[in-house]
Amino acid sequence: MQGEKNKEWNIPRGLLFDSSDCWLKITEETVVGLTDYGQSNIGDIIYLDFVPAGTVVRRGDRCGSIESGKWVGSLLAPISGIIVETNSEAKADPHKVNTDPFGDGWLYRMEPADRKEITHLMNLDAYKAWIQERISGKAKDAEIL
Amino acid sequence: MKQIWRLLDTGELPAADNMALERVILTARSCNLIPNTLHFLQFSPHCALVGYHQAVELEIEEDYCREHGIDINRRISGGGSIYMDEGQLGWEIFALKNTPGIPKRLDDMYRLMCESVVNGLSRLGIDARYRPLNDIEVGGRKISGTGGTEMGNALLYHGTLLTDFNVDTMIACLKLPLKKLEDKQIRSFKERVTCLKEVLGYVPPLPDIKKAMARGFAEVLNVELMPGALTGEEETLMTGELPKFRSAEWIRLPRVLQESNLTVADYKAPGGLIRVSLLIDHLRQRIKSAFITGDFFAYPERSILDLEAALKNSSSRPDDVRETVRRFFAGNDVQIPGVAPDDFYQALSLAIAAQSSNENNGGNNANR
Repeated sequence: MQGEKNKEWNIPRGLLFDSSDCWLKITEETVVGLTDYGQSNIGDIIYLDFVPAGTVVRRGDRCGSIESGKWVGSLLAPISGIIVETNSEAKADPHKVNTDPFGDGWLYRMEPADRKEITHLMNLDAYKAWIQERISGKAKDAEIL
Repeated sequence: MKQIWRLLDTGELPAADNMALERVILTARSCNLIPNTLHFLQFSPHCALVGYHQAVELEIEEDYCREHGIDINRRISGGGSIYMDEGQLGWEIFALKNTPGIPKRLDDMYRLMCESVVNGLSRLGIDARYRPLNDIEVGGRKISGTGGTEMGNALLYHGTLLTDFNVDTMIACLKLPLKKLEDKQIRSFKERVTCLKEVLGYVPPLPDIKKAMARGFAEVLNVELMPGALTGEEETLMTGELPKFRSAEWIRLPRVLQESNLTVADYKAPGGLIRVSLLIDHLRQRIKSAFITGDFFAYPERSILDLEAALKNSSSRPDDVRETVRRFFAGNDVQIPGVAPDDFYQALSLAIAAQSSNENNGGNNANR
């Protein structure tokens, strides 16, 4: 993407992140969404689909699909748990994920199964570094989505 | 030393088998059971395929397909509905995402894969080029469309190459933004796609086409291709996957609510009439596809086709449409005497606001 190296990505404080560009807001439940960088890399999102609420997922399981530019990518669970609600408004209008990834464009809420898994997630500084690593091409195992 | 990739050619298969095979090879690659693979495939009988998230009833003329022995199935990749007959060659790349040389960013990866096809076509004497986001064209006319998906650490990127093509059957079996248009406009639509037979005046022998394509991929991806067959593990996986891909449940899969409405509008600009025909999803506020004709003169001629490509799957919100049109004209040197970018915006706005106008297309079609 042109000018990407100089772009300032919106990365709010108080969130945790995984390597697939998901953000997590962790309270009693966990809200999961796609970061600003993540939505930008995917591009204009045309379709969004989720596994049904109530589905039990393990960390790394596919819990939805996302389509842009004729590419179907997987939404992978950043932690294990139960999907308790999916964002039906974002499913009906995936543009929300592009325009408001940390607000109306949230993806799903889940009940974590194991709080220890949170240690696998990145804080803000680590996530910023992960973005830079990929932009600079230094990341060896960066995922396409 | 170059990486060794497998060159796999499974010949003609029914749609369900080819769709299952994509899942099988992607799984096998993801599980490290096979090397990266270039796969050639063909379809028999002919078939209509929808993209992963699409609804068959909104995209395919099912009665026509039934009457003409055209299989219907669903891809695991994204994109729109396509018609595949025996005169088309499918190509597919299965690779680990972290394969050296394959870009991490999607846009860059699309370009690289399409450049491989461009390279292959050049070996057949065809001057093709990549058209963002995912197409390959010859003189502004599409000759190969592409799309992809991923599983775990592996990706599938594939496309079709039109060798010889029955465009009338394609128009009949897919729900395209053409109904109620005059013959002249349908002829104009036909001119938007081309095939090897039309470009070269003949269809080269299929082995020659495959050889040229394989060399194109090998050179651009900097790999060596070794012919190989499906492995025992893949055959076993295939036995498990095939029933699913033959099932109505798979073919009728989507849980995403969507619509497909055909709307047509005419707008009189100073330089001529602009006729816009859209397939539009009001529910999800998307222009699914656009077909623009009229009696204006555009230079270069291909610019209207490029505008249609820019509008495909774009937002139908007024501000977004205005921005899509503005960005297109700002980024392209287009001359249309007597027609300003705002005229196209006005024409598109009229079409978006128009009532769904085609009873043959089911009027206001939704997969509720």
